[in-house]
Amino acid sequence: MTGNGTITETQRDEAGLDYAREAQLSTALARCAAGDRAALQMIYDSEAPKMIGVARRILFRQDLAEEAVHDAYLRIWRAAASFDPHRGSARGWLYAVVRNRALSIHRNEHRYDASDDSALDIDCEATMTRMPETSALRKCLERIDRPRRDVVVLAYVHGMSHGELAGRLKVPLGTVKSWVRRSLFSLQECMG
Amino acid sequence: MSMHDDNTHSTDDLAADYVMGLLEGTELAAAEARMSEDADFARAVSTWRERLADLDATAEALAPSPALWDRIADSTKVKPAIPLPGARAALRGATLWDNIGFWRGTGIGGVFAALMLVVILIGALATSRQLRRELIALAQRKPIYVAVLVNDATKETGAIVNTFSDGRVELIPLRPIDVPAGRTLQVWTLWDRDVGPKSIAVTSQSRTLQLDLEALPETVPDQLFEITLEPEGGSPIGQPTGPILFKGNAARAL
Repeated sequence: MTGNGTITETQRDEAGLDYAREAQLSTALARCAAGDRAALQMIYDSEAPKMIGVARRILFRQDLAEEAVHDAYLRIWRAAASFDPHRGSARGWLYAVVRNRALSIHRNEHRYDASDDSALDIDCEATMTRMPETSALRKCLERIDRPRRDVVVLAYVHGMSHGELAGRLKVPLGTVKSWVRRSLFSLQECMG
Repeated sequence: MSMHDDNTHSTDDLAADYVMGLLEGTELAAAEARMSEDADFARAVSTWRERLADLDATAEALAPSPALWDRIADSTKVKPAIPLPGARAALRGATLWDNIGFWRGTGIGGVFAALMLVVILIGALATSRQLRRELIALAQRKPIYVAVLVNDATKETGAIVNTFSDGRVELIPLRPIDVPAGRTLQVWTLWDRDVGPKSIAVTSQSRTLQLDLEALPETVPDQLFEITLEPEGGSPIGQPTGPILFKGNAARAL
């Protein structure tokens, strides 16, 4: 019974900082849509290192991570006009672009180059503890028992497919799919 | 919970899987297309992005190589025009692929044409040696290699590739492929893993294509052909970046 949603206090110290950063990114995207390349560089200067980190957790190789970020900036530049600040945050939009590019490369690389042991070093718990203790996502994930919650981290953070999850966790594909569904449902209930 | 009907539930599940990165192939392409068409879906996607965003923040900040920005700056010199949503819808509406009436007509017409051809050919066989020779020539035009391109997830057959003794290669689509605005279909072949995949065609819609294989060696058994969804104008890196819609290996025709 993890269903009862709780109102989590999100008044973090860094909340103000987050708002400022979000406003900057959102404005920069609007300027990109108008063709202002300085705004694209501003986004790059502020976010590129973190984006490389996000891409590298999926691709493991620095060169591929840079390829993903390169492609992501092309996409950001071309599609900036489709970002709608009323619908979601600029941060969420930008990082979704990066993850999508990294996932595409990941899938293609896997098809042409099957050798990869780097996935063995993945540590889901370390990722959990890197989230601030005030994070609603962290609190809600902690309510889900392992290894069920690992599927969320492995898929979202490391780009694993259902098949890869089943292989790593050594459970049937159907079990993985049901863990994904139940974990996401539980997150939705908990976070609202 | 009483308002939680099946329909909203599946939209939300799909949005969650999309944000999680668990969709592939045509499912992924369909979800990306839906982002620009279905406001409810786009909203559900945004909600999931916000829910999971704290996981992005756990990534280590890693310095990119100094050359990366120069490459990006170089690639973004030109701002491509973005068609208005209305113009995009109009463009999509104009493609015959969505027009069932057209295809019904074409199908019925095709059957009649084939019947007529059979009648003519039988007559010609009986009367003309000249035509008989031409029929033999026609038979020699059957493909040497055939590749059937299938979607990995849905097992649907999307297209076939035929290669002929005179070096011609053609791709024949077998089902409509939904190409989202701003994207393009790109056809690749891989005959040597050391060289990597090579682009052989870029097209904005699924139609029969004469492929350009002149720069490549002759088709070999098991040579891989695939169709991916790429940014407009084709993959920016000369390698497949988008989801693989259909793929298959060449087999020798008997």
